[in-house]
Amino acid sequence: MKTILAELETRFGATGARFQRDDLASIDLPADRAVPAVTWLKEHTPFVQLNHMSVVDWIEDGQFQVTWLVTDPRGCRSIMVNTRIDRERATCDSVADLWPQAVTYEQEINEMFGIDFPGSPRMGVPFILEGWKDMPPMRRDFDTVKYVAEHHPHRPGRKHHDPRTYVGERFGEKGYLHD
Amino acid sequence: MDILVRAAVAVVVVLGAILYGLLVQGVIRKVMARIQGRIGPPVWQPVYDLFKLLFLRTAIWHGVMFWLGPVFRAAGGIGLFLLIPVVVGNPWLENFSFTGDLLMAMYFLFFGSLGMALGAAEAGHPHSPIGISRGLVQMTAFELPFSLAVVALVARTGSFSIIEIVRAQQGSVWDWNLFANPFASAAAFLAFLGMNMYSPFNIVGAPQEIPVGPPTEYHSSFLSMMAAGRSIFAVAKMVLYMDLFLGGATSLLEAIVKTFLVYFWSVFVGAVFPRFRTEQSVRFFLGWPTVFGAAGVALVLFAR
Amino acid sequence: MSDRDWNDPRLEEALPPVADDGGPRPPRLPARIEDIPAHAPIDDTCFLGARKMPTPIGLPEAVQRIKNWIRARSLWVMAYGTGCGSIELRPLATARYDMERFGIVMRPTPRQSNVLIVSGYLAVKSLKRVVRSYEQMPSPKWLVGLGSCTINGGMYWDSYNTINRLDLYLPVDIYIAGCMPRPEALLAGFDRLMKLIDRGEANGWHHYLENLDWYKANQRKLFDDGDMPDYNW
Repeated sequence: MKTILAELETRFGATGARFQRDDLASIDLPADRAVPAVTWLKEHTPFVQLNHMSVVDWIEDGQFQVTWLVTDPRGCRSIMVNTRIDRERATCDSVADLWPQAVTYEQEINEMFGIDFPGSPRMGVPFILEGWKDMPPMRRDFDTVKYVAEHHPHRPGRKHHDPRTYVGERFGEKGYLHD
Repeated sequence: MDILVRAAVAVVVVLGAILYGLLVQGVIRKVMARIQGRIGPPVWQPVYDLFKLLFLRTAIWHGVMFWLGPVFRAAGGIGLFLLIPVVVGNPWLENFSFTGDLLMAMYFLFFGSLGMALGAAEAGHPHSPIGISRGLVQMTAFELPFSLAVVALVARTGSFSIIEIVRAQQGSVWDWNLFANPFASAAAFLAFLGMNMYSPFNIVGAPQEIPVGPPTEYHSSFLSMMAAGRSIFAVAKMVLYMDLFLGGATSLLEAIVKTFLVYFWSVFVGAVFPRFRTEQSVRFFLGWPTVFGAAGVALVLFAR
Repeated sequence: MSDRDWNDPRLEEALPPVADDGGPRPPRLPARIEDIPAHAPIDDTCFLGARKMPTPIGLPEAVQRIKNWIRARSLWVMAYGTGCGSIELRPLATARYDMERFGIVMRPTPRQSNVLIVSGYLAVKSLKRVVRSYEQMPSPKWLVGLGSCTINGGMYWDSYNTINRLDLYLPVDIYIAGCMPRPEALLAGFDRLMKLIDRGEANGWHHYLENLDWYKANQRKLFDDGDMPDYNW
């Protein structure tokens, strides 16, 4: 795998290759070279399967990190290809023409984070949320507690306990019912 | 006897038969539960279910044919039952069998299902026509061995009248058609499995396949009418088979025991077999059961 | 999610106005028959208390009691697993906890079922479908709220997509607390439901019909994209 990571560095200007496990590597790419790198991985290396696609919200840097987890099914190893895109104008290239299952991932990311993937068939089509008018809920500046307090009223008489201290109060130091 | 008295007796007998059918179903549910290691519902459970359905409000209506579907089914069942003698020699339980004969019984057997198919097709639910088409295809398939068996029986007796067939089997146990013409009996009893739509031929109404098939949209009073129709149909088929193959009955106790044994045959097979697909069941019925039926006819023709 | 503030005061701030007995309740209904009382939730324990509905005019009490007795002994549950609580329904149907001995069977369609078990959390999307299924069931029908999520939100109390109180949107006859309740708890709940039906006290469906505006207003507030399920009587 090290040779493939070295190839990514020379061809696409990748940086920060690191190994999380023997069979799981991670590498960072600039935004405009990420999808060509993923395409190259699919076409010319054994890493042909899209295992997962996810997003991390780096709100302090004002960026989204988009991650594609590509897998080599025969060699049982994976590479996490990361890239950073701007948080305000959140668009990223789509890999829907490479893998059909990416359409669903991109639909979900579009609904939950608000990232646009131009060319992906189901942009804007609701996936889990129906009639959602607020900001995309997985963004870190979305206040879940406030939203719940406004829309989903609680039953009165509800008390809140912090589990760590509450278990200690109820069940003593050992943390379970004892004589 | 006066026709009015006979009509009143017939009503009582029909109601008794419906109750008997429900009880038999209850016993079978208990038996199946015990086979599966459970306790099972009480034997009166189908009676509770039928009355509970009567006490529900109707939620939706799909037109006249939808309403007539269960009526046809119940009418087919009652007609079939009233043309077959339950206990030969007992004027109360001979029903109207002097007018009927085997051909008419076969007609009523299929009339009920066809009527229900028409009704369920009106339901507007997409699963009903799928269930109906499967059911009618299966019915067409098992009709063949059953008809061959009937031909064999009629050839032996020389008459279509069920009472004549019963009388021809009196004498000893070995005169029963079950032993006198084993091939025809084998064909007919295999067709009986398909008739009851019990496993392995229960793809028509299997809840895992389509939500109960034809009766999907039926609820409350419609469903209670269908439950009563199914019960009377089951009893009529059991009595028909008892008359045709097990020598009829000369007392009520004998009738109860023999009909229960006939029904238990399908449970006995159904408890251990998984389901056939529709094309598998068609291929099955056009295979060995048809061969048995043809052999039964040949036996009668060449053994004279 | 580990930095959730468990004592966040905003949770108490934005609650809807509290009635004098402790919670939003349906409006008092103008009595058509004078002694039909309002369906008032009693307190926060497991069961939603219900007052007995008087027998309709013209039917003797004995007939009503026979009807209720039969209805309680033949409960058909709709096989609809709305949430994770429904994994406890499967052991209930198999040999060890056998619910068929009480006459309870699973039916695949709402048209042929009497009891709808809301087993666990309900996303807003599922709630719309559950409302539709509930309305398709023929009356009299009962609704069992299984698990803590239907009572006060349970594990998903702070999720933007799940509801916290089921009885604002559908009339619940019995709650069974737990996360999720074991089959023995479910059997105890069904036993209690059968007793309530025997006594004629489980009338959630009647309450839904009479307070339809209140329930629909709550549902409309939730499905605020304007796409309400059409009413299926």
